[in-house]
This record gives sequence, C-alpha cells and structure tokens, in this order.
Amino acid sequence: MTIFHSMNTTASALTAQRLRMDVISSNMANVDTTRAKQVNGEWEPYRRKSVTLTAQEGQFSNFLNVAMGKTSKHGVGNGVKVSKINEDTETPFKLVYDPTHVDANEDGYVRMANVDPLKEMVDLISATRSYEANVTVFNANKSMLTKALEIGK
Amino acid sequence: MDLFGGTISSLENGLSYATLKNKTIANNIANVDTPNYKAKDVSFKQMLNDAQQSSITANRNDVRHFDFSIKQSKPGVYSYENFRARHNGNGVNMDAEQASLAENTIYYNALIDRVNGKLNSLNTVIKGGK
Repeated sequence: MTIFHSMNTTASALTAQRLRMDVISSNMANVDTTRAKQVNGEWEPYRRKSVTLTAQEGQFSNFLNVAMGKTSKHGVGNGVKVSKINEDTETPFKLVYDPTHVDANEDGYVRMANVDPLKEMVDLISATRSYEANVTVFNANKSMLTKALEIGK
Repeated sequence: MDLFGGTISSLENGLSYATLKNKTIANNIANVDTPNYKAKDVSFKQMLNDAQQSSITANRNDVRHFDFSIKQSKPGVYSYENFRARHNGNGVNMDAEQASLAENTIYYNALIDRVNGKLNSLNTVIKGGK
C-alpha cells in the first residue's frame, strides 16, 4: 500500500497489453510460415499464439494479515499479469494448393499457419484501446499525486 | 480547543477514500481484458452497513435468473460478483470506470484545494492578518 500502488497497477496492465501486442505481431509476421518447428521429423506450420490474462489478487502476506485481523483494507488487487502464452491447437491449418512448394504433400497441398489476419487486427485494436485507457488512468493518477504535493504551499 | 478543529482530519479521510477509490479504478481498468474478473468498488463503511441492514434480494424462480445482491468481500472494497458485461465473464464497464476516474480526480483536487484554503486561513490568523 504505497503511494505508487495504482501506478504499479497501471504499469502491470501496460506491460500485459504490450506483450499481447507483441504476440499479435508474431502471429501476423508468421502468417505464411510453413516451417515453425519439427514434429517427428516433419515440419509443422506456425500455430497462432494468444495470451491468458490473470488478475493479480493480493500477495500471501496480505491474505495472512486480513485473516489475522491486522488489516481490513485489502482486496483492491495488484493489477494484471500474463500467466500463459498458449498455442492454438483447435483451429486446423489452412490448406493451399501449390504443388511447386517444398512443403507440399503428395496431393500438392501445403499446410499454412492457422492465423486469421482479421482476428489479429480486431485483437490488435482491442489491445491498443486497452493500452490507451490505462495511459489515461496513469495520467489522472499522476495529476493527483502532483496536486498532493501542493498541500501547504 | 483543537487548533485545526477537525476539518483537516475530515479532509484527510476524504483524501484516503479518494486514493483507495483511485487504486480500485486503476485495478479495474488494468483487468478490462481478464476473463471472469469482477469490477470492484469502494464504499464508505456506513453506507455498507446501511445497505446490509436494509438488504433486498431478488425473488428468483429459476436458477438462471440473476441475483443482484452485492457480495461484500472485505470492508471498504466490494465487488459486483453477479454482474457480467461481456461473454468472457468480465464485469468491467469501461465507460463507467472512465467516468468515475474523472469524477474521483476532480473530487481529490477539490479536497486538496480545501486543505490549502484551511491552511492559508490558519496562516493568516497566525500572522495576525499581516
């Protein structure tokens, strides 16, 4: 519970949203990647990645203090974190007919990455908007702290 | 008689409420994309007590109906457990949060102005109007 608590909260959100944007960039960059990793000696295309966001509810010491009745001001939370970056194993790879491609199978089809650029663009806009919202909170908080320094002037 | 007459400490309580409220809003907006996160809010303890004494609950005849009672987790901060704004279970209403952020900032600034006004008038008294 320091004066910079809400700034740290906002900073955690900015970090998380930026990581989300990095993952989207990676997806968009690898939209045509047919050789992401080798599985049983065969190349597998790139799999779409996405982040899992989890709320950072208080630390263990906070819960202990509340349970022992030492403090009651608890439960605000400490922001957000990316708990996992997971690969999309549900969506099937896109099949493109191109017999001249090195990774084409016997029928002439190439497995392409399961990235949908439309989805990525929507996700990108969502991440940008969330980032902007958090910047607004940060600025509001900064103005409040600056105002607090004026007490007694 | 108390020199500050209780005004400064009242304003201080108001400031600590506004600070806690700001932390809550920051946390809500930080978790705007977190699945199953429920929005939190700050209430004065008295208001909470009033709400608990005259609590109203929804008359449900189907389990799928929403229960609109507010679940209080800790004194001061409570969360809207049964409210969801989006399909991923998230209950943060971004417009409402932005509005209360602006409101809270103005409230905070007003309190600071009042503290300064009080200190200035004390200063005038101490200096004997010089």
